[in-house]
Amino acid sequence: MNNFKIVLGFELKEYFKSKGFLITTFLLAILAVVGLSLPRFIDLGFNKGIEGVAEQMFSVDDSKVVVYDKDGYLNKDIASQAFPQIRYVESEAEIESAVTDKSADKGFSIKSPTSFKAYVYNSEMYGKEENVMTQLMSVQQGMKYAESKGVTYEELSSSLNPKIDSESVILGKDTRANYWYCYALVIIIFMMVIMYGNMIATSVATEKSNRSVEVLVTSTSTNSVLFGKVIAGAIASIFQMTMILGALIFTYRANREAWGHMLDPILNIPLEVFGIFLLFGLFGYLFFAFIYGSVGALVSKTEDISKTSSGIMMVIMVVYFLSLFQLSNPDGIVMRVFSYLPFSSYSAMFARVALGTVSPVEVIISFIILLASVVGMGLLSAKIYRMGTMRYGNPISIRAAIKAVRKEK
Amino acid sequence: MKLEVRNLKKSFGEKEVLHGISFSVESGMALGLLGRNGAGKTTTIRILMDVFKANAGEILVDGKPFVAKDYRIGYLPEERGLYPKKKVKDQMVYLARLKGVSKGQALANVDKWLERLEVMEYKEKKLETLSKGNQQKVQLATTLVADSDIVILDEPFSGLDPVNSQILKDVVSDLIAEGKLVIFSSHQMSYVEEFCDNISIINHGDVVLDGRLKEIKKEFGRNRLVIAAENYTLDELATKLTDEFSDVVSVDKKKKEFLVLQMNDNVSKEGVLTRIVGSDIRLERFGIYEPSLNDIFVAKAGEESE
Repeated sequence: MNNFKIVLGFELKEYFKSKGFLITTFLLAILAVVGLSLPRFIDLGFNKGIEGVAEQMFSVDDSKVVVYDKDGYLNKDIASQAFPQIRYVESEAEIESAVTDKSADKGFSIKSPTSFKAYVYNSEMYGKEENVMTQLMSVQQGMKYAESKGVTYEELSSSLNPKIDSESVILGKDTRANYWYCYALVIIIFMMVIMYGNMIATSVATEKSNRSVEVLVTSTSTNSVLFGKVIAGAIASIFQMTMILGALIFTYRANREAWGHMLDPILNIPLEVFGIFLLFGLFGYLFFAFIYGSVGALVSKTEDISKTSSGIMMVIMVVYFLSLFQLSNPDGIVMRVFSYLPFSSYSAMFARVALGTVSPVEVIISFIILLASVVGMGLLSAKIYRMGTMRYGNPISIRAAIKAVRKEK
Repeated sequence: MKLEVRNLKKSFGEKEVLHGISFSVESGMALGLLGRNGAGKTTTIRILMDVFKANAGEILVDGKPFVAKDYRIGYLPEERGLYPKKKVKDQMVYLARLKGVSKGQALANVDKWLERLEVMEYKEKKLETLSKGNQQKVQLATTLVADSDIVILDEPFSGLDPVNSQILKDVVSDLIAEGKLVIFSSHQMSYVEEFCDNISIINHGDVVLDGRLKEIKKEFGRNRLVIAAENYTLDELATKLTDEFSDVVSVDKKKKEFLVLQMNDNVSKEGVLTRIVGSDIRLERFGIYEPSLNDIFVAKAGEESE
């Protein structure tokens, strides 16, 4: 225990004395502060509100648009409201050349009051180039119809879309409100495992590559060394993450108005969920930190870490993607199973608590499983570490290492 | 304190590399573990240090099972290595504290050993900025920083120049004089000869010779004499002895400055001397042959193995 503290102290000192570590921490924290303070000084359009657009019957397309309207189906007044940069041309060929030479972003050839052909150079991933034109033409049709019936377009429109007032009372979980911070937390814990897991593996592998490991393991127990190193790595990474996230949250809170409360759904995390996230996140992270620690012991060169850790990486990725995809189905079988397994409960359990229905007993059972797995993995890693210590040369696979540890027993 | 290694066996996969190593060493004495490359010296030391587990055999201290963790052991591994990016002082204090030395004592010991090995000026420097020889000395200082009762040095002289070797020789002599139990493996026979009371020659995983160096030398020199004459060259002398004295001696080998003779059975040294004195040979040198450790090593680990 005493030696564990000595190893922990020595390793922590190394992290906090490392210029790279400190610069990364403070640089990212400063970037967070600067980035989130921008809307206070520069208008990024977050605080515009939506009232202007809501009153309109169609959206506004600011891009340069060329239109060929042979039979004059478009109402030019309305069209110039929808497309402030509209320009009329005399043929479809002109549209094509204007779009091709980029003097226009898009073009439309109006075929009839209800049909048109749209031209773009490259189509956008999510944008629908013809959206505004579709709205515009349907409004025009609506106006024509209203006129023929002797009513105003506003009357027609309000009878088709009457304003309905509603209020919802959520008796269970507010999934919509909870969804985004769960999403953010799953990503954060995933990033921590991936980024810092490698950092811990590197710290262990470095001792093997500079051959200091033999002096170390003959000076104290491998349990003290491995636990000291892994937990020091965990503390250092949690410190770094806290600094960066702390800077993000603090700066956002100070600039909330300038952001138009845009990020509130991500930061409005109930205490209960945050507590579960911290507990499961911390121990789930430690679980993987120990695995990465033993990965470090199995290689002789830091370059080999990624090769040996690829299997672990697959598990982490599968858990990550399935957790994200299943956020909308928190009580489904996948999330239920995931919330008990030690390699996935760190992201599945708090998501279930935030979004689904889960009893406290389930949470406690899952946490006990996770805790026992962390201790078990720690001891197994220390054994793998001891076994891998003096094996230089080609990296050993985790499976082969576990076999060797079993044989040694 | 008496450390005994009994019948140690070790296999890596299917291959048995130690076939039953045994030796013993006591406090205030030094044991030289000798052997050619790959003989099994380092594996034996690593088993002693609990880096590897033996497949069979036992290690005892004063008759009780030896557990490396329960003793403060100064260990210089063959694979040298410390932390290149850390300060000399920091890593020495760290490793001393892991061996149970208090922080204050560790700091004092760092000064003592850096001073003793003449590398005090590098105390606050990062290890990687030192020359290879000085890094080696820092590694030695680190080995000794916990004031251990047992000191195990695997090839301590490799990489040291003659001046630094002398410093280390003095340090090792002091350790022995202070009553420490010293085990060291080396290829450099002259150093082993200087410090070691006991030797153990390992060859292909077996102990081929072990015991007190003096007795081994005596045994090796038994019934052998050395001779050189003022009035004959070594070749002439060899011919003369073969022609005229074959009833008492035969020429074993020619060294640079003398011949080594093997006495026939039932012949005494005095008998040989009387015969020679009665001839025309004017003696320049005559005496009992004392083989060097090198001769013994080559005989045991070299020729026998081939």
